[in-house]
Amino acid sequence: MTDYRLGIDVGGTNTDAVIMRGREVVTATKRATTQSVGDGVVDAVTVTLQQSGLAASAIKAVMIGTTQFVNAFLQRKNLSELAIIRISLPRTDGVPPMVSWPKDLRAILGSNIYMTKGGAYYTGQDYIPLDEEAIAAAALDIKAKGLKAIAISANFAPIRPDLEHRARDIVRGIIPDAMITLSSDVGGIGLIDRENAAIINASLMAFSREVVTSLVQAIKNLNISAPLYISQNDGTLLTTEAAEAYPILTCSAGPTNSIRGAAFLTGLQEAVVVDIGGTTTDIGFLVKGFPRETTGVNYIGGVRTNFRMPDVLSIALGGGSIVREEERGIEVGPQSVGFHIREEALLFGGPTLTTTDVAVKARDLSGIGDPAKVAHLDDDFVSRVMDAIRLRIEDAVDQMKTSSKPVPVVMVGGGSILVTGAVAGASDVLMPPYAEVANAVGAAIAQVSGRVDKLYDYGQDGGRLAVLEIAKQDAIDAAIRAGADPDTVEVLDIAELPMMHMKTNAVQVKVRAVGNLFAMSERAAV
Amino acid sequence: MKHIKTPQDIADMARGAVFLGTGGGGDPYVGELFLLQQLEEGRSPMIVTADDVADDAFVVSIAGVGAPTVLVEHLVSERTLLDLLARAEAFYGRKIDALISAEIGGANSMFPLALGARAGIPVIDGDGMGRAFPHLEMTTFSIDGITATPTVMIDDLGNVATVTTPNDRLAEDMLRALCNTLGAMVLGSFYSMSGKQMKQSAVRDTITQTLEIGRCIRESRETCEDPVSGLMTYLNDPKRGRYARVLFDGKITDVTHETRDGWHWGAVSLQSMTDANDKMVVEIQNEYLAARRNGKTAIIVPDMISILDRETAEPLTAEMLHYGLRVKVIGYSAVPELRTEKALKVCSPRQFGMNEDFLPLESLA
Repeated sequence: MTDYRLGIDVGGTNTDAVIMRGREVVTATKRATTQSVGDGVVDAVTVTLQQSGLAASAIKAVMIGTTQFVNAFLQRKNLSELAIIRISLPRTDGVPPMVSWPKDLRAILGSNIYMTKGGAYYTGQDYIPLDEEAIAAAALDIKAKGLKAIAISANFAPIRPDLEHRARDIVRGIIPDAMITLSSDVGGIGLIDRENAAIINASLMAFSREVVTSLVQAIKNLNISAPLYISQNDGTLLTTEAAEAYPILTCSAGPTNSIRGAAFLTGLQEAVVVDIGGTTTDIGFLVKGFPRETTGVNYIGGVRTNFRMPDVLSIALGGGSIVREEERGIEVGPQSVGFHIREEALLFGGPTLTTTDVAVKARDLSGIGDPAKVAHLDDDFVSRVMDAIRLRIEDAVDQMKTSSKPVPVVMVGGGSILVTGAVAGASDVLMPPYAEVANAVGAAIAQVSGRVDKLYDYGQDGGRLAVLEIAKQDAIDAAIRAGADPDTVEVLDIAELPMMHMKTNAVQVKVRAVGNLFAMSERAAV
Repeated sequence: MKHIKTPQDIADMARGAVFLGTGGGGDPYVGELFLLQQLEEGRSPMIVTADDVADDAFVVSIAGVGAPTVLVEHLVSERTLLDLLARAEAFYGRKIDALISAEIGGANSMFPLALGARAGIPVIDGDGMGRAFPHLEMTTFSIDGITATPTVMIDDLGNVATVTTPNDRLAEDMLRALCNTLGAMVLGSFYSMSGKQMKQSAVRDTITQTLEIGRCIRESRETCEDPVSGLMTYLNDPKRGRYARVLFDGKITDVTHETRDGWHWGAVSLQSMTDANDKMVVEIQNEYLAARRNGKTAIIVPDMISILDRETAEPLTAEMLHYGLRVKVIGYSAVPELRTEKALKVCSPRQFGMNEDFLPLESLA
C-alpha cells in the first residue's frame, strides 16, 4: 500500500495539489496559478512533494483538472480557424451550420462550410448514399486554404457513426495531419447541438495539444513517470490522448471535481455542495456520489449544445467580493478584487473592504493577512454583512434543492470561511479537513466512465429488456475501453426517451457506466 | 403590418409559441434557426392582419408533420419547401396569395414565417387553434368545414403524395402512414381556403400574441420580482377578453411518459412548495390536457395549461419536465372559437378519451 496519487486542480486564481494514498489525503498545497500553466503545476507539485517527504517515484498516477479549455473558448483566445463538413443533403439546407453563433466567434472560426450528400433515417438506413467524391473535393479545398481543424457532422450519426468515420478517413487521406472532430464522438441526438459541440471541440484541438504537451512535460520535469489523466465533466478521467482530442469533455470539470471531492471528504452520497471561490460561489447537488447533471440544453460561450454538464448555480459572491454600505443597505459583490486580493484587501494593507476582511473580523481568525488592519470594523456592521452573505448562500442552496426536506450542506473552496453556523434548509453544515482543496481531491479520486446515447427499436430488437441489456453492455464496454477495471464497472444511470408522435417503438436510450481506474483499482479502491 | 426583424423578436416569438403550445407542438428551435437564417440573408417575413387579405385571395397552411426527434436531426430544407409551394400551386391550380399557420403553438408557428420570408408571400397574423392540438380536425378551419385535404405532401428526397379524403380523421390516418414510410417527417399544404373563409374561421392575431407573450416574459424577468406575475397581468388584460390564473406553485415529484398508438401519454405529479399534502397531477396526451388538484379538476381541454419555470417564467414543453423542477402551472382560457358547441364536438375532453364534459376555467375556481 505504498502507491500514491497526485491530484491537481489548475484554477483561474490558484493551482491546488494533493497527494493521496488510498482514501487518505497525505498532504495538500495551494499556490498561485502562473501565466505558464506548466510552471504553476511544477511549483505546486514541488511544494507538495517536499511537504510529504515523498520521492517523485512514489507517485503512481497523476490526475489534473483544468478549466483552461473552456476559458479559452469563453475568452475567444487560442482558437483555430476551422472547416465544417456536414453530411446531410438534400436535407437541412434551411439551417446551415453556425446559424445562431455569436458574430465574434464566427469571425474567428471562419465560414468554411461544406455540405455534402448522405445521411440516415432514424431507422439507421441510408436515405441517400454518402457522396465520397464531394467529401474528397471539400478536403482538397480545405487543404488549399491551409486549414487543419475540421468538424464533421452527419444526419443521425449517433446511430450511423460509420458515415462520419468514412468521411474522416477520406479527409485524412488528403490532409494527413488534420485535427478532426466527429459529431458522433461528442454528442447525442440533435444535429445542431451535436454539431456545435464538434465545432467548439475542433476549434480547441490545437490549443489542447499545446496545453497537454506542456502538462506532460511538467510532470516529466518533476521526474514523475506515472501516467497522467485529465478530469472530464462527469467526474471521470480522460487519458492525455483523449484530452488532446476532446478538450470539450473537460469544460466543466472544475465544479464537478469540487462536488466529487466534497462527497469523498465527507463520505456523503447526497448533499448540496457550496464551493466558495474568490469571485463566485458554485452550488451543485450531489446525487449517488456524482453531480446532478442538467437535463436541457447548455450554452458554452453563447453556443447551444446538448452537452452533459453538472447542474451548477453560480452566484457572484466569493472571498474577494467587495463590500459596500449603500443607502438601501449592505451590498456584497458582484464586483470582486479577484486574484488581486493580496494587494487590494484591507487585511493585506490594501484600500478595499472585501468579504474576507469581514469574515476574519467576525470569526476572529488568524493566519490571513494582518487582523489588526480590520480591528476597527464595527461589530454590528460586521454581523449584518455576515448575515447578508449567509442569506445569499441560503437562497442559492434552496434553489438547488429538490425538496423542502433538509439536506446536508458541504462547504468547500478557499472562501468557505465566509459562512459559519447554521444554514437554513440544511440538516447539517460540514466543512471537512482539506475542504479548501476539495477540487484537487476530486481530481485524485476520479473514476472512468463509458456512455451510450442511441435510438433503439423495442419492437425489432427483442423487446425492451433485451435492448436495455445491449445498451448497458455497450456502456460497460466503453468504460473498460476508457481504462476501467472490468471488475468494478457498474451502470450508474439509464434514461429512456420514447420517440413521440410516431407509431413506432423507437426509444432513445442513454446509459452511463462507471468503474475504478484499472491502474489504481487493486491498491486504492475509492 | 408587423415585422419580425431581429433575433430577439424570433426568440420572443419562439418562447411565446412554447407557451401557447401547452406542453406539445414540438420545440420551435429548428424553425427559429430557419427564420434566423432568412433574417441573416436579408429577408424578413411580411405579416398581414386577416382583414388585409382580399376575399378572393387563395390561402393555405404549410406545416411539418412528424416526430420531434426526427425534426432535430433532419431539420428543414428550404429547397423542399419552395418545391412544395410550386407543386401546391400546380395542384390547386392557383397562385398562393398568403400563408397561415395551422397551429401557432410549437414548431409549426415558425415554418410559414420562414417560408413566407423566403418566397415573398405574406403570412397572416393568426392560426387555426390559438394553441397546439394533436389532430388535423381540431382546427377552427376544420370545425367550420374547411377540410385539411386536398393536400400535397413532400419529403426532402422529392417523394410527393397528394391526398384527398372525405373527412379529416381519415386524412390524419393516411398522413401518418405516409409519414411513417418516409422516415417520420414530411411537409404538406393543408386547409386550402379563400380569403373570405379564412377571415371567418381563423383565430386572429396569434403571431402578435406569441411575440407579446415572449417579450412580456423577457421584460418581466428584468423588471419584476416575479416574472410570472408580469405575464399574468398581460394575459388578464381586459382588452383581450380572456382569463388566466396560476393554478399551482410547486415542485415536480414525478413524470411518466409512455408512447401508445403513436401518441405521447404521460402525467406530471407536483407537490406544493408549502404544503406536502397539496398535490396536482397534469395529464399529458401530446399536450397538457387536464390538471387535477387533490383529485379535483382545476382545468380541462380545450382550455390551456402551460408549465413555467417558477424563477424565470420560461415555458416548458412536456419533454423538458423532470423530477425536482420548480414550476408554476398556468391555466388560460382557450380562444372563444374553441369553446363553442360546434368546436367542443371535436376538442372536448371526451374526444381525448376522458369521461367528462368541458367546464370553463372560470367556473372551476
